[in-house]
Amino acid sequence: MTFNDILKESWLSVSGNKMRSFLTVLGIVIGVMAVVIMVAVGETVQKQITDQFSSLGTNTIMIRAGAAQSGGIRTGNRQTLTTDDAEFIAKLPDVMAVTPVQNSGAQIIYGNKNWSSSMVGAYPDYTTVQNVEMEYGTFFDTSAVRNASTYAVIGPTTAKELGMPDNPVGEVIRVQNTPFVVIGMTKAKGDSAMGSQDDMLIVPITTLKKRIQGSRFPNAVSMIALKLYPDADNTIATNQITALLRDRHKLKDDAEDDFQIMDMKQVMETMNTVTGYMKLLLIAIAAVSLLVGAIGIMNMMLVSVAERTREIGIRKAIGARERQIIIQFLSESILISFMGSMAGLLIGVGLSQGVGRLIMHYNVPFSAWPVLLSVTVAVVVGLASGVVPALKAAKLNPIDSLRYE
Amino acid sequence: MKSSETIISLKDITKIFPLEMGGAQQVLFDITFKVHAGEFVAIMGPSGSGKSTCMNIIGALDTPSGGTYELYGRDITNMTSDELAVIRNEYIGFVFQQFNLLSKRSVLDNVMLPLMYRGLPMHERVSRAREMLKRVGLEKFESYLPSQLSGGMKQRVAIARALAGDPKLILADEPTGALDSKMGHEILQFFKQLNREMGITIVMITHEFDIAKYASRLIHIRDGHINYDGPVPKNESVLQKAKKK
Repeated sequence: MTFNDILKESWLSVSGNKMRSFLTVLGIVIGVMAVVIMVAVGETVQKQITDQFSSLGTNTIMIRAGAAQSGGIRTGNRQTLTTDDAEFIAKLPDVMAVTPVQNSGAQIIYGNKNWSSSMVGAYPDYTTVQNVEMEYGTFFDTSAVRNASTYAVIGPTTAKELGMPDNPVGEVIRVQNTPFVVIGMTKAKGDSAMGSQDDMLIVPITTLKKRIQGSRFPNAVSMIALKLYPDADNTIATNQITALLRDRHKLKDDAEDDFQIMDMKQVMETMNTVTGYMKLLLIAIAAVSLLVGAIGIMNMMLVSVAERTREIGIRKAIGARERQIIIQFLSESILISFMGSMAGLLIGVGLSQGVGRLIMHYNVPFSAWPVLLSVTVAVVVGLASGVVPALKAAKLNPIDSLRYE
Repeated sequence: MKSSETIISLKDITKIFPLEMGGAQQVLFDITFKVHAGEFVAIMGPSGSGKSTCMNIIGALDTPSGGTYELYGRDITNMTSDELAVIRNEYIGFVFQQFNLLSKRSVLDNVMLPLMYRGLPMHERVSRAREMLKRVGLEKFESYLPSQLSGGMKQRVAIARALAGDPKLILADEPTGALDSKMGHEILQFFKQLNREMGITIVMITHEFDIAKYASRLIHIRDGHINYDGPVPKNESVLQKAKKK
């Protein structure tokens, strides 16, 4: 029996009972399709998270004021961090750039329009820490921080919502009756894990503290963000910062930290682990439907062997060896699972790419994963579900089979 | 006889079937005979006489419980089922009562089937199968399905399939059992012609004397014993009177 013979024999048998074969193939189509789509969903989520973090950079570390947790009760947002802390951290060897960060809501008025956005007070190094690039104009410098100048860098979304000209540099906006001169507009970055970076107003931190918040503690900040040199080790840097801050805050050995350090690399790794498990879970659920499809093939093949007992008897009488009968029935089940897998692959990839691009406007990652999976499924499911029926067929006694009605 | 070459040699063949309730039933007792090349032998007996069991053993579909069976000089008594499959493919052409054609395969595919299992290349299979269909007068029907043919035509396809493998022996099991008498007569005439003109050895199993008459030699089996082995007698009553050996 040549490969062509095997292919022809299986095709004739499978196509000889179209409705039954179609339904059996459909079981595999649905199974493979489900797995392919679940893989795409999992990979999309993972890619989105990775993208967001890489826009920040994994060598970013955030320090928040206040203890992590104490006896299940948050100790509140005590402003334990100061701009001085930031300046000391800047002296650590691994640290490339540091900025204190103070957030505030802001009702921005431009001409007769107003827009509710967020306001961030920072140092000029904010551009390095957050990978900010300028579309127009410049970012404010250290003298602006020192003088608490009313300069503002605007996000493109904010500028658009306020109906500002394409290049808003030189325009004047008002926040809480304080006029700010727009000196620059950032490039659009898209959404990130930290919320939209395109809808915000960045001002010198001193300006925010003094003129907008009117704080009694102009040095206190809610957060310090920093970026390490690319070759720095996140863990070592984290330990150094912890030691430095504990020392500066004069914490006793048994006292808890009065700040939290969020290492973006660690956060990303944790997120990746979580989404990895989520992906596995999705695939496992989809695999159940694939298993049901495989059982469908086995069921059909067993029925087929019983129905074709006489045919098997004829084949054996005229000289088919057991191996040839086994090959015939195995190739039938492989053919069915192959057709199902390929159709499932096409439909699955088509649906996930189509829904992703046309409806979600997101480029769903395309990987070789589903293709490999489908080919493997075609062979493994075909073999696994065909082997029992094929052996059953091969072991039939030709005399009894010929007599079978 | 054109040749004295021995095709079948059965010596002291016995067959015992175990019974489901325990114990055993012996259906063949010391069957001994030879068939030479070019013979047309009818094995006749009433139902339950053991003639079907005898045919299964001759056809290498079953193995005997005792004795030895040589087919074309090869002892096949203790062969495995796969070795027997090869023997059947190479040495024996089967013609069954129920035709036993594959219903979803064309006439040509059916005739080519034994050649596929033998591993011949496709062009040889096609040319050989066409030649056989021509010999049985069905060359115009090669793309038909068996269900589109009459009973007699189906049996001729089966004969073409049996001949395709160029066997040493055609083994026909009640070949006219599913045909009306006119078509039955045609098929038997065709066997006779194959035997006379081409020297093909034929062993035919039947329970009817009228059909056995087409053969040149008759072996009569009753209760698992041979009680007649010789030229076909003119009258069936000879067989009834014959004594067990």
